[in-house]
Amino acid sequence: MDAVTYPTASVTEFINKNLIPLRIPSDSEPLATNFMIKWTPAVIILDERGKEHSRTVGFLTPEEVIPTIMLGIAKCHYELDLFQSAIHCADEILNDYPKSDAAPEAVFLRGILGYKSAHDPTNLRKAYERLAEEYPKSEWAKRALPYRLLH
Amino acid sequence: MGETIAWESDMEKALSRAVAEKKPVLLDFFSPG
Repeated sequence: MDAVTYPTASVTEFINKNLIPLRIPSDSEPLATNFMIKWTPAVIILDERGKEHSRTVGFLTPEEVIPTIMLGIAKCHYELDLFQSAIHCADEILNDYPKSDAAPEAVFLRGILGYKSAHDPTNLRKAYERLAEEYPKSEWAKRALPYRLLH
Repeated sequence: MGETIAWESDMEKALSRAVAEKKPVLLDFFSPG
């Protein structure tokens, strides 16, 4: 991450603009124990109270790190009931990084967000349909399978 | 030399900035050695 991903200009700009970046050595206590760190790199999204909302472990390429972090931000907003902010993040992933590894889960989350914000279950069915069409081999297409029955 | 990531190294300072700037925290645990 230090050699390739973080020095990439677009990654640096994205992180500085959208997040408060914090680096902690994996042997730093009590944080390492509190966050149950067993392997690095471990990249975690926290809200302003320090509560964890997303975690990824292992190397991320420059191409994958931005959509992966954006998905973490979307989950953070979603779990704080900031649905419109979460929708904005999910849509940005799908518009700007549709081929990323984060995209299928962003479709799934977008369906939930549409349902939660508009109380309309067709958003869930549309998420399934998009997953079946664009990401049929993803685990998220399987997880959305029951939504095909919604009207 | 281009822009670099402005890493914080203290949790409390990072959370204070998160409140003030209304941004989430990106916490990166790295292997020191």
